[in-house]
Amino acid sequence: MYAFTFHRPQTLRQAASLLAKNEEAKLLAGGHSLLPTMKLRLAGPPQLIDLSLVEGLAGIEQSGRSLTIGAMTRHNDVNTSPVAQQAIPALAKVAGMIGDPAVRHMGTIGGSIANNDPNADYPAVCLGLGATIITNKRRIKADDFFTGMFSTALEPAEIITKVSFPIPKKAAYQKFRNQASRFALVGVFVSKRGSEIRVAVTGAGSNGVFRVTSFEEALKKRFSPKSLEGMSIPADGMNSDIHGSAEYRAHLVGVLARRAVAEAIGKSAA
Amino acid sequence: MAMTMTGEYQLPASQQTVWDKLNDPAVLKACIPGCESLDKTSDTGFAAVATIKIGPVKAKFKGNVSLSDLDPPNGYKISGQGEGGVAGFAKGGATVKLVPKDGGTLLSYTVEAQIGGKLAQLGQRLINGASKKIADDFFANFANAVSPRSP
Repeated sequence: MYAFTFHRPQTLRQAASLLAKNEEAKLLAGGHSLLPTMKLRLAGPPQLIDLSLVEGLAGIEQSGRSLTIGAMTRHNDVNTSPVAQQAIPALAKVAGMIGDPAVRHMGTIGGSIANNDPNADYPAVCLGLGATIITNKRRIKADDFFTGMFSTALEPAEIITKVSFPIPKKAAYQKFRNQASRFALVGVFVSKRGSEIRVAVTGAGSNGVFRVTSFEEALKKRFSPKSLEGMSIPADGMNSDIHGSAEYRAHLVGVLARRAVAEAIGKSAA
Repeated sequence: MAMTMTGEYQLPASQQTVWDKLNDPAVLKACIPGCESLDKTSDTGFAAVATIKIGPVKAKFKGNVSLSDLDPPNGYKISGQGEGGVAGFAKGGATVKLVPKDGGTLLSYTVEAQIGGKLAQLGQRLINGASKKIADDFFANFANAVSPRSP
């Protein structure tokens, strides 16, 4: 590991000002992507700004028809929260499917979505529920937030403070795991809230998380796995690697979307 | 590991203009993603420093870029190789062809890239996407650079 200066601000204002002053600084929000990279010397930020002591960044609360999760809330806390389990069971379940226990006890929702790893689970949840990402400067719709592989709409000195999820009527996530990394080879999140249907896919696209509008249209007629019978998406723009070809991933998107809809309406997966 | 990428861009400029820009170090420097410096070392060679940033990974590569198979104004091959210290090495080449089409120029490319060392081992699930993004960014930047509205 290269030497670096470790900052541990207590307020959001201090964190933001440190970040604005040090262009090369990185925020530490769990560190399960950043620290392994630094240990391998594949990154050497001169400054790390740890957010774990910043007041008010962690917590889960429901107000009216939305569930709000603080950026520094750990995956395990979302997974085991009675409030989250009651409001959006699919979301609490996803948090329990991320990585391994070490990742779930350190990793945070804010860290995951700021990194926007193209195989990560949370970006699919945010996009699949139409979440709003709230920063120290503004509110950003999930549809505008994820701008491509590892890139987001965040500005250099911007810090995510919380994520607000509208509570859906039905929702579910299906993930085809890479057995070694536990990342999603393909993951599909579906939700229905009033007339709004969302289908978001992670792991498959070479440019990160995306929505499948053709599936959404089909599900608008009837929210049932039957509506997606025989449907798939083009292999163009899908990832291809030793774990699976682009065609295989495109095929999985259809299979997992049908299973997710089945789970969302309480039927056993086909 | 090795990979091949192809693509094409329709550019709103004459074949000669596109060719000139493809040979202009200032334009190349502005188009190579993360390029910090590109200094001419010979008629067809450059010394380059570029920082590659993919998610949490940030590695500085030092190396050289050379032009070969020059066939003005129809195309050439641009190759580069760099050492990223512990991160590993990257090398690759793009065969670029220019054909006049619809009052502009059709640029088509075939990129072959090889990445080795730690970066390749760890980044396996990301290397394809990342390489494609770098190639896409380069040609998208270049398409911008030859559009009449930009200087």
